Amino acid sequence: MIPAATESTVPRSAASHDWRRSAGLVIGWVGFLALWAFTSTVILDEFTLPGPAKVAAAMWEIVIEGRFADDFAASISKTFIGFGLGASIGAPVGYAMGRSRYWKAFFHDGVVGAGSIPGITYAVLALVVFGTGYLGPVIAVGLISMPFIALSVAEGVEGVDPNLVRMATAFRRSDSQISRHVMLPSIMPFVFAGVRLAFAIAWKVEALTEVFGSSNGVGFQIRFAFQSFSITNVLAWTLLFIIFMLVIERGLAVIERRIFKWRTWEQTA
Amino acid sequence: MATLTVKDLTKTFPAVGKGGQPVKAIGGISFEMSGQVFVSLVGPSGCGKSTLLNIVSGVDTPTSGSVAVTHDGRPAHLGYVFQDPRLLPWRTVIQNMRYVSDLEEDEARANARRYLDMVGLAHAEDMYPGQLSGGMQQRVGIARAFSVGPDLLLMDEPFSHLDAITARSLREQLQEMWNETKKTVLFVTHDVMEAVQLSNRIITLAHGGTLFDDTPIDLPFPRKASDPEFAQHQARLLGRFEDMEAERSTASRSN
Amino acid sequence: MTASTAAAPTQTSPRRGKIRRALTADWAARITFYVAVLVGWQLLAWQVARMPAPWETLDFLFRELTGGSQGGVVTGVFWDHFLVTVQRFSIGLVVGFVIGVILGIGIGTFRFVKSLLNDIMLVFLALPAVIWAFLTVMWFGLGWEAPVYTVILASFPFVAVNVAQGVRAVSPELHDMSDAFRIPRQRRLRHLMLPAISGYLFTGLRFAVIIGWNAVLLAEWFGSTNGVGWRARFWYDAARYRGFLGWVIVFIIFIFLLDGFVMRPLQRRAFRWRRDRDGGGDGDGTELTIDNVVVMGV
Repeated sequence: MIPAATESTVPRSAASHDWRRSAGLVIGWVGFLALWAFTSTVILDEFTLPGPAKVAAAMWEIVIEGRFADDFAASISKTFIGFGLGASIGAPVGYAMGRSRYWKAFFHDGVVGAGSIPGITYAVLALVVFGTGYLGPVIAVGLISMPFIALSVAEGVEGVDPNLVRMATAFRRSDSQISRHVMLPSIMPFVFAGVRLAFAIAWKVEALTEVFGSSNGVGFQIRFAFQSFSITNVLAWTLLFIIFMLVIERGLAVIERRIFKWRTWEQTA
Repeated sequence: MATLTVKDLTKTFPAVGKGGQPVKAIGGISFEMSGQVFVSLVGPSGCGKSTLLNIVSGVDTPTSGSVAVTHDGRPAHLGYVFQDPRLLPWRTVIQNMRYVSDLEEDEARANARRYLDMVGLAHAEDMYPGQLSGGMQQRVGIARAFSVGPDLLLMDEPFSHLDAITARSLREQLQEMWNETKKTVLFVTHDVMEAVQLSNRIITLAHGGTLFDDTPIDLPFPRKASDPEFAQHQARLLGRFEDMEAERSTASRSN
Repeated sequence: MTASTAAAPTQTSPRRGKIRRALTADWAARITFYVAVLVGWQLLAWQVARMPAPWETLDFLFRELTGGSQGGVVTGVFWDHFLVTVQRFSIGLVVGFVIGVILGIGIGTFRFVKSLLNDIMLVFLALPAVIWAFLTVMWFGLGWEAPVYTVILASFPFVAVNVAQGVRAVSPELHDMSDAFRIPRQRRLRHLMLPAISGYLFTGLRFAVIIGWNAVLLAEWFGSTNGVGWRARFWYDAARYRGFLGWVIVFIIFIFLLDGFVMRPLQRRAFRWRRDRDGGGDGDGTELTIDNVVVMGV
């Protein structure tokens, strides 16, 4: 007996969609690589545009010889430290902005302004003040991640449901209990989202600062490759940089989903 | 005023995903309606009411059978009111009215204003839908449907998303407009009381989209829920619903 | 002390209340902030030898505008360089925008195109503008090509991604409604599709402007013989940091003005239908949230 229909949707066949989607992905990537290889060997030459094979070989070499590990470790450590710095300033600022109207107005232009200033500016400022070296990128990262942390914390604090707070108060929960069980979990998703975004940006600013004036790190290597006029190495280091970034992004996304499982039900409610 | 003829209509949806079954939304319906009638289509969820409306309006096509909507022999003009207002959020109320109108600029505006006035929203013509309440938006939706001068007006549970008080006042407004403009209306609802209040004929569909009942309601308008005859009709219909459930459970037990 | 969110103005006696309100008004708070920044800058300049002070920088800029020499170097060339950069930026922006719109419509409309291009678009989004600067300089040398192509390559993915989102945002319900009323194709395009997309178009354009301006600067810094980026580098290499900082400030002011006085108002206008009934929380894209603080560091 054929079951009766539900009112809502016109059902579509789901199977055919998956097929087309996978096909598209495969064709997209294969096509891209093929186009790249074609352009570099036939249309231009291997010097102007190194083919995928050549770049892949260079990437492999970089990894094998340990340069990847050294320079990435340098870059990532600067990023983390700078990020921590930015967070240690941004979090209290954000908290103040979320709780008080005065502080919100006071910091408004500063935070928005700081967030809109090109990363290049921080890179360059760090250059003037700190010259080449370790501190420049760290400070630059701190400066650019601070506004994002501040804004996420502010958003989180403002977003705390006053009804929940009242409920907890009605049940005679102490202030510290309310902070821990109501406010903190409420704020966390926003902070995490902000952290993800800020980290992606921080990473790029860090690399940029290194490009301008460092003696180690990913950015330095890219600039070095540029100065040596090695298109292959510029591409190789860049791809490694991007892969690394995507991996971290994915990692953060997975962590976010795990920690905030409760949000998925809330969002569909 | 229009004539709607439905003959041996069926609609089956193809299977979804692996191992799915084709879904029979409508399993053979025939009926006819014409003139200044307000016909309500009632039935439990999943009985094919909205699908039927989609087919009549042309948004969907039948698997077999036919649907004909005519006015003096030629294809009729249709108006549609949805469950949610479906206004273009980036256009003002009056611009939304003009979106559906084929008239010239000035005529269209004047026409739109006339119908907005009928629903009491003449003052809101330059507001955006986001600035209006749900009830107000739905009123605009109704004015919009009327304003195209349809021969047949299709309404798909237009008040089901509103609170009781707003729904009541909109029902009254709808009734006045129907009286004044003398349209043919096909009204889908799951609310039996609403059906008894507004219509002079109630068609009941059962699960699987078959015709289960077809009753005229002859009470004069406007109707009062406190009226004993009203209660009688309502009770009868609810009784039919119970019969339908009973039939269904014996049928499934014997399967 | 009870836990509470954003504090409401406190109750005080009328006269004290008035003074307090004046001191804590939004505009006063903002001004206080700018003053704090200037003071901070001056302090930093006293501390760090290489950091030029606000006054010195201003003085320098004035001379770049009007003429005279700076330690033997000809100045007064402000407009020459500035206009060159603006020109390169504009051309690259227009081309990048057009490409982005075309790709975005393709990705948003056809599922197949989306699976084809989406990942690639993400990679392009992730590529820092500086890489394009390097590549184009290596490929095209020191002429106008490198800056223009850098702008195009850096900006088009942002436009594409946003336009694709816009196309997908046109709700099927509104399409059904248009079907039910038999709305002709042209009217649908004008009143249904276009307005739905325009908000996203603007967001994409705004991103493109900011990334593009960044990009042109980077390209000029590393491989041009004129323009804002080149001039900034010129002063930096000559260790004349007030010159360097001055030009960086020019760079920042331009984008602040463009974004604040042109882009944001336009975006607000495009989204004005999104406002609430109560008038609170505009939803027009300019509130103080993460999503709305545009990232130039990207």
